[in-house]
Amino acid sequence: MLQAIESRELITLDRFGPVVQGTYHRPNDGDSASGNKKRIGVLFLNSLSLPRAATGDSSVYWADRFAASGYPCFRIDLPGLGDSDGELPQDLLGFINSGGFESAAAQKAREIAETFNLSGVILLGHCAGAVSALLAAAKCRECKGLILLDVYFHLPQAVRPAIRRKMSDWALKCRLGRLASNVYHQLREIRLRMRGNRLPENANFPLIKCWKELAPTGLPILILKAPARRAMGAKARTGEFDYLEHVLKIAGPRSQVTVKFAEGTDHSFANRLGRKAVEQHTEDWLKSNFPLIGRRLSSELATLESSGD
Amino acid sequence: MKAQLQSFPQSQSSLHEEAGYFRVAGVHLYTVSHPASEPVARVLLVGPFASERQNSYLPWVRWARYLAARRIEVLRYDYRGVGESLGQFEDMTLKDWSEDLRLLAEWYAKREPALPLVLHGLEIGALLASKCFYEGVGDAMLLWSPPANANLALRSTLLRWVGLEQLLTPGADRRPASYYVRQLEEGESVEVEGYQWSSKLWRDSFEWVLPPEVDAEPGVGMGKRPVRTVKLPKEAAPLIKGGFVGSDEVKDFDWLFRENAQWIQTEVADRGRVSDVASD
Repeated sequence: MLQAIESRELITLDRFGPVVQGTYHRPNDGDSASGNKKRIGVLFLNSLSLPRAATGDSSVYWADRFAASGYPCFRIDLPGLGDSDGELPQDLLGFINSGGFESAAAQKAREIAETFNLSGVILLGHCAGAVSALLAAAKCRECKGLILLDVYFHLPQAVRPAIRRKMSDWALKCRLGRLASNVYHQLREIRLRMRGNRLPENANFPLIKCWKELAPTGLPILILKAPARRAMGAKARTGEFDYLEHVLKIAGPRSQVTVKFAEGTDHSFANRLGRKAVEQHTEDWLKSNFPLIGRRLSSELATLESSGD
Repeated sequence: MKAQLQSFPQSQSSLHEEAGYFRVAGVHLYTVSHPASEPVARVLLVGPFASERQNSYLPWVRWARYLAARRIEVLRYDYRGVGESLGQFEDMTLKDWSEDLRLLAEWYAKREPALPLVLHGLEIGALLASKCFYEGVGDAMLLWSPPANANLALRSTLLRWVGLEQLLTPGADRRPASYYVRQLEEGESVEVEGYQWSSKLWRDSFEWVLPPEVDAEPGVGMGKRPVRTVKLPKEAAPLIKGGFVGSDEVKDFDWLFRENAQWIQTEVADRGRVSDVASD
């Protein structure tokens, strides 16, 4: 079906659901690394409106790296995004948050698993793409794991009102603004504590319900967090509900959720530190949850040979 | 240098767009061809600088489809080292990108049936397109928001990135844009929005200017070939910087597309047909 250019192939997926365009990164060790077992693939979904290469072409970088480690990778443009045909609504963020790409992502995961003879697919999404990945995973038997980069569980506004934007700018630019901002967030923190553990009104309840159904099944999930403004590590900033803490709590005892924090990067994970952190944490996670049997045997044989045994 | 287009039936979309790779200087450029039925002209789209690609992608693709639906065949591509094209961004120079464009444009101009070729550049793409056009390639040129020189485009990208960085960085560690400019001028590379800008790229960018002929005779242009320059208004975001991510990409650009497609049809396609008739 496919023709290759160096390590990549351009693909059109048209068997199940809408037609989408994508790029396949072939594992660079051929089929030998998996022995007789089928491999698992990694499917990258678009982050909001970005084309499949993502910010700074970071998805291309990661797909190349994971493929070099033996995991076939697929980057696709969901319908209407990048090079794929399709109409998009004006409120793209709202569309995605309400599961607009859930069905297409699930169909494409199935199509990729069948077409490329894979044992399953790990869905990887960043930001809004992570929302699509999580929702699609619940609808897709072929999904064997999730990698969620800066996933969010609330319903953010794509365009904030002008007055709020102006106030944020003011809060950043002058001392008085910063002071006012601190007071505002302290007040929010008090309000938050008074509410107890109740989810805020703008929580994405269907998404949290989906998580509640999926995480306790033991599906391996890797969550990667980037530093956020005024936040300490993976913790939420003062005055904001800690969704991560909440979802980890409701994941249940059988869950296999790993949370890693990427220092020195930003929300896009596109700078060197961010790329490396995602690469390293994901590879460690892939190797421990989805080891390549053949590759391990070859590596052990190589060690034996070099030691002269 | 041998240029070669390899395209695959497997990479055809429902619109019969065809993605492929074009070989230049030992690597492959990613291209997408938008065929048109009974085409009257061809347009080669030369996109904006690296980190603007992701923001402008959706309206840029829609522009290509808009033209293809109006009997104008389109080819768009990613610069070497950017997006789906192969190569290392940090090793690239404006000269490399200019040579790639020339190869691609010459190949596209020779396609059958013979049709007028329009070079259409956006932002830094407009500078590259105008150089190629100045060297004699193409029958007409359309420029959207060309900067006076490439450095102005780089500088505005740098300023935007510094602004975002400052939001995340604690006060003491914040660096002004001048700090990064100094680094680039002193031979250091700087990572901006995921792309490693080399000092050479920065230095060379001052020399990449819009040929004076572009503005000299509006509407007539170089060698009497039609040239149109449009300064895009802020409503054209995200084709130009600004706007709201996740909202502006999907807005209606008909106001912009219609008049520019009409210009191509009247200035290039119709003129081509008239000259065909005259030569018959």
